[in-house]
Amino acid sequence: MTLTATRPPTRAKGVTFFPYLLMLPAITLLAAVVIYPLLGALGDAFFERSLLREGRTFVGLDNILHAISADLWPLAVTTLTFAVPATVAPFLVGLVAALALNQKMRGRAAVRSVFLLPWVLPGVVVSFLWLWIFDANYGVLNGTLRTAGLIDTNIGWLDSGPGAMLAVIVARTWGTFPWMMVMLLAALQSFPGELGEAGRVDGANAWQRFRHITWPGLRPVASIVVLLEFIWNFQHFDTIYVLTGGGPANATTTFSLAVYETAFDGFDLGMAAAIGALWLLMLLPAVAIYLKSEHKS
Amino acid sequence: MSVLANPRTENARPTANSKPVIRKRRSPTGESPVIRWGRRISLTLIGLFALLPIYWLIVTSLRKTETVFEFPPQLLPVNVTFEHFGTIFGNGDLLRFLLNSILVSVITAISSVLIGMYCAYSFSKFRYRGRRSLMFLILCSQLFPHVLLLITIYGLFSALGMLNSYPALVLAFTTFTLPLCIWMLKGTFDNIPDELIEAAKIDGANQFVIIHKILFPLAAPGLIAAGLFAFVRGWNDFVFALTLSGDATRTLPPGLVTTYLNEFSNRWPELMAASLVAALPVLAIFMALQKYFVAGLGAGAVKG
Repeated sequence: MTLTATRPPTRAKGVTFFPYLLMLPAITLLAAVVIYPLLGALGDAFFERSLLREGRTFVGLDNILHAISADLWPLAVTTLTFAVPATVAPFLVGLVAALALNQKMRGRAAVRSVFLLPWVLPGVVVSFLWLWIFDANYGVLNGTLRTAGLIDTNIGWLDSGPGAMLAVIVARTWGTFPWMMVMLLAALQSFPGELGEAGRVDGANAWQRFRHITWPGLRPVASIVVLLEFIWNFQHFDTIYVLTGGGPANATTTFSLAVYETAFDGFDLGMAAAIGALWLLMLLPAVAIYLKSEHKS
Repeated sequence: MSVLANPRTENARPTANSKPVIRKRRSPTGESPVIRWGRRISLTLIGLFALLPIYWLIVTSLRKTETVFEFPPQLLPVNVTFEHFGTIFGNGDLLRFLLNSILVSVITAISSVLIGMYCAYSFSKFRYRGRRSLMFLILCSQLFPHVLLLITIYGLFSALGMLNSYPALVLAFTTFTLPLCIWMLKGTFDNIPDELIEAAKIDGANQFVIIHKILFPLAAPGLIAAGLFAFVRGWNDFVFALTLSGDATRTLPPGLVTTYLNEFSNRWPELMAASLVAALPVLAIFMALQKYFVAGLGAGAVKG
């Protein structure tokens, strides 16, 4: 940074290297910790490489073909089974919360910040909390359902595939709906209030006002938050790892769990990279749509 | 909850008087009873969904171990005790995880803001070839799976002998804190008028003076907000910290997992107490600065 001190002020218009100099540290760092690792991981897909020993052997498409034949479809199905509901559910809860809060009322700021609390907690804390709530023997969920007479015997939520998937989706919904709510509420508050008022005067009912006035205005923001949440869920790790560890019997093993386990429990970096490359390929359309919409705005 | 949805706060709206078309059944806000009750009921339900788990976290951590395992669970706090907080602070491991979390997150926050602010200044106040592409690239870097980056980062740090070190954690955390800081700070600098910089130039200030004596002091609230965001993201990170840290450098999230996962059968109250300790700094920062958090969400989270 001392370099900048010795330079005279650049008055001249045109080419100057000063702005490049300013961003050099940040760009260098990101190249080292994002670009290089990404390219490195993609490169590893073509090698047999283990965490346990030095060096690597070129194997061409072996890893990738093996990943396609063995893992790709089950992993894609599990990942989508998690990512789609874990995007739609927080969106719906967040949308209802945003619509309900989009009206001046006493204590609105307080309610909004209380609703934000789950989103602020560390992911590991969220996961442990829901692990405790879903606990088969002493969990408050089974306790409440039994006290209410809805079930007779405790349910081992995390012992069955669908139960475990439900648990991770609920935990994830809890942790992310506040973010959806804030983004949608900000969008709602940016439109002119007279529109809804005019609709009301013209006799439109609540659903018609939502359908024809609120929703068209909300749609650009809604599609960006849904897309972004889907991208994040497609690669989500923390909740699933702590809550189910990918089990039972791989029922909640998504791409991120599979890559992590292949690399750091199975020590097979080449195979992990191959699964990762295929995963990235499947994620690419969503990323492209997001970047395109972001570029426009 | 229903008191929060009090409709009387808007009853002075002039349109209610000037438009005779409004039907009699409506409240002073112009809402029909169905909408008003829909609003109240949904806020109550979502409020319960948001708060009950947090309530349960706190109540469990304050309860004597034997009462935690009663069936059915007691929903109200009975036999309140702080013994579990004593246990976790008496446990050297957890105290070390806590100190590691503080150290690593603070350094991550400071270095992300220090490095990010020059880059953000460059993006905000200069126009040059490649600027938009680079900003786009930084946005993209937020969209790649962390687990995938981890494969190479682990190999790289292993080759450099940096595994289990603090710099390794700080560098890895930078992958997700730096882009966020750059985007947030660019937004902050965009709001500072160019005329201020032009005026300083005319007065003969060089870039060093402009940046450090004029721009950064004006942007101080934004710099603090970006630093706190980076702190929270570093504090909450799990997968990088789990993989790249060793016993001596482990932070709280992976520390909680290695200590409690798979052996928590009778340690739930202790785990909930430890979880609360891991959450409290973040909650405190959030409470103190929620205005910036909400504004920063728009600038930071959506844009990367």
